[in-house]
Amino acid sequence: MRRVAWILVVLLAALPARAQTVDPADPLGSVMWTTVRDAVFPGAAMVFDDHVQVFSPPVVEDTMNVPVSVLVNGLPDVEEIVLLVDHNPIFKALAFFPVQAAPAFETVIKVQEATPIRAAARTSDGVWHVGGLRVDAAGGGCTVASVAASGGDWDRLNEVSGTAWRRPDGGQRLRFQVVHPMDTGLVDGIPPFFIERLSVATPEGQELARLELFEPVSENPVFTIDLRGHAGSVVIGGADTDANQIAARIGMASTLFGLLEASR
Amino acid sequence: MKSILRSVTIASALVLGATMAHAAVTDAEIMDDAASTNQIVTYGLGHQGQRHSPLSQISPDTIKDLVPVWSFSFGGEKQRGQQSQPLVKDGVMYVTASYSRMFAIDIKTGDELWQYDARLPDGIMPCCDVINRGAALWGDMVYFATLDAKLVALDAKTGKVVWRKELGDYKAGYSATAAPMIVNGKIITGVSGGEFGIVGKVEARDAKTGEMVWSRPVIEGHMGTLNGKETTMTGVKNASWPGDMWQHGGGATWNGGTYDPETNLIFMGTGNPAPWNSHLRPGDNLYTTSTLAIDPDTGEIKWHFQSTPNDGWDFDGVNEFVLFDLKKDGKIIKAGAKADRNGYFFVLDRTNGKLLSASPFVTKTTWADGFDLKTGRPNVIPANRPGNPANTGADGKGSSVFVAPAFLGGKNWMPMAYSPATELFYVPANEWGMDIWNEAITYKKGAAYLGAGFTIKPLYDDYIGALRAMDPKTGKIVWEYKNPAPLWGGVLTTGGNLVFTGTPEGYLKAFDAKTGEEVWKFNTGSGVIGSPVSWEQDGAQYIAVSSGWGGAVPLWGGEVAKAVKDINQGGSVWVFKLHGK
Repeated sequence: MRRVAWILVVLLAALPARAQTVDPADPLGSVMWTTVRDAVFPGAAMVFDDHVQVFSPPVVEDTMNVPVSVLVNGLPDVEEIVLLVDHNPIFKALAFFPVQAAPAFETVIKVQEATPIRAAARTSDGVWHVGGLRVDAAGGGCTVASVAASGGDWDRLNEVSGTAWRRPDGGQRLRFQVVHPMDTGLVDGIPPFFIERLSVATPEGQELARLELFEPVSENPVFTIDLRGHAGSVVIGGADTDANQIAARIGMASTLFGLLEASR
Repeated sequence: MKSILRSVTIASALVLGATMAHAAVTDAEIMDDAASTNQIVTYGLGHQGQRHSPLSQISPDTIKDLVPVWSFSFGGEKQRGQQSQPLVKDGVMYVTASYSRMFAIDIKTGDELWQYDARLPDGIMPCCDVINRGAALWGDMVYFATLDAKLVALDAKTGKVVWRKELGDYKAGYSATAAPMIVNGKIITGVSGGEFGIVGKVEARDAKTGEMVWSRPVIEGHMGTLNGKETTMTGVKNASWPGDMWQHGGGATWNGGTYDPETNLIFMGTGNPAPWNSHLRPGDNLYTTSTLAIDPDTGEIKWHFQSTPNDGWDFDGVNEFVLFDLKKDGKIIKAGAKADRNGYFFVLDRTNGKLLSASPFVTKTTWADGFDLKTGRPNVIPANRPGNPANTGADGKGSSVFVAPAFLGGKNWMPMAYSPATELFYVPANEWGMDIWNEAITYKKGAAYLGAGFTIKPLYDDYIGALRAMDPKTGKIVWEYKNPAPLWGGVLTTGGNLVFTGTPEGYLKAFDAKTGEEVWKFNTGSGVIGSPVSWEQDGAQYIAVSSGWGGAVPLWGGEVAKAVKDINQGGSVWVFKLHGK
């Protein structure tokens, strides 16, 4: 976090003509948007685009666990989707690289206060397509200690649980959870400690999807993604900021619940 | 409904401040560290461990102008013992701190470049405060070991983790605090945890990848490995250990090592045998309380010297083995010296481990009456071994004895220094004794494995610590400086005829290397128990030392606590140079 803040300060210093006002084109009218935009994709082309949709409950119950669902519909060749939280001390929650997956995902994040939550999808022409919504929230999701930090079960660190369901289109839905405190470093005495990268691959090692994670992703994060053109078990790999490795295999479900989930 | 509202093109000239140019550290630079003056890329200012800087700008004549340049706070609420030795490369200082933290600091400004905080699990079991002793540099990486017994490789430019490997199971009591050592592309480490019945070991990993090359347990009966396969057994099973006591035999290699390019040998000290109650393990208990010479390519033990066979007093033999040329009778002997916990200053032939001399460097060594140079063994005084609890009454305690030195040692972890100019060693010693008695004990994973009780008492009213200049040719003390509180910091010698060391009272002090006259002192605000260093940058000779009271003394010191109770916590590194330079 300290590093992030420092980089930001330098960025601001290097941009003398930084816009101080709300971007009139921003459908969410966010005072932070121009800052977030210039920090996350400086120099890149971007458009506000309704093809990129973000779903989340409009009123946040638990600022440490805000479910977010992102769907990109009708844009070709989406190579990367970043999830941004304007009013978080750390804006960027994650970057999703679909590779062979649908340009859509669900996860759970922390929010520090009422804020726009946005998804920006980069198409192969390099343009960022931005959509989002505003959620109302009480304060504090990023600056309270994780449950694990106050005496968690270290034996289960980086343990992965999950299931894959076959879908009518021949692909499969994958949902998995990794046990990790995802500490932001913004709580006194608890250093930043979070999962940095996750990958989904076939048992033979072919990459199906990839995630880069940052501090705002919730403790014990959950991810849902739809894989295309692959049926069967998958291998989850990755590492956290202390280079603790993540390695697990997830098999197919064959339950009634699985059928219900897949038809959702 | 798509509307292009903004297409930003900002020149991508995002100058991220003046980035420090850290050139990769080579094996040759590491081997040349003792002679080089513009950087410090090893723990010990050279693998020989002499802690000598040839620099002479600061001398007894000029030192009155030695003033602080900056002080850097380690911050947080983590103000515990700071025992680190800083490293210096290309204008950047790499210094470790309590709770397994590392900082990179721009030496010109004192600005922090990055900070790495290891995320420690709740269950760590450091015996003697949450300290760290320093880092290692090689290639583009900087390495250190953490309290949960992990070895971490960080990118030296960013502080980001490159890899992280387990040195031992922290739940079984393994821990790590010593600075790693790089020998020809391999990173050499030991482990802490002798109070929990761990098995000490020395390991070599590929410095680039962290993959294990060899592992050498130091307790006889355990198997070594090389390139993933079992190689040789350490010693001969049950030759000096009864029954299965070797399985949790201790011998923690917790204080790092030295390396001699001339003989291609690594020298590592090993700690006390476990448990402390020696009646449970009759025999020499090899290779505890020893100095081991190890082949860095294979992990084979080439020779050993055991300073306290069948140790019953917690006289770890981990103390650093400092390499030097002993000029005696017109000959130059490839020698090494070690000031042991047990109160004796040993000089060995480093090519074969033969004992050349053993001289007490403290006033009382009541557990033994000297050493037999022919056998290399101590003349132990049996009456001063704590009694066997099996032979005594219903309270389960064996008879208590008063012994000197105390278990914290005539000298503990704090590294001594050698000056090739004066040909003297400078030993930070302590004068204390202990009441010690034995009790029954059985091994339980993760629990203290001692079988002994103890209290430490100072031997004298007016001082505990003593910095002593020892002549390795004669074993005589040439001069001494007495300090009220116990000394717990490392020593530095310089080409400017100076000896630097810190005191728990907060001072960094400098002495005339020949006479012992105190020529300079500066109060850093908290106890100094780190190891000072010196280097040259932009025409000035710099001195740096960490400040922050803690370590084993306040935790284990018994009656000594009176001498240190008013010392306050801190956590910083101080940098000095001559005013106007």
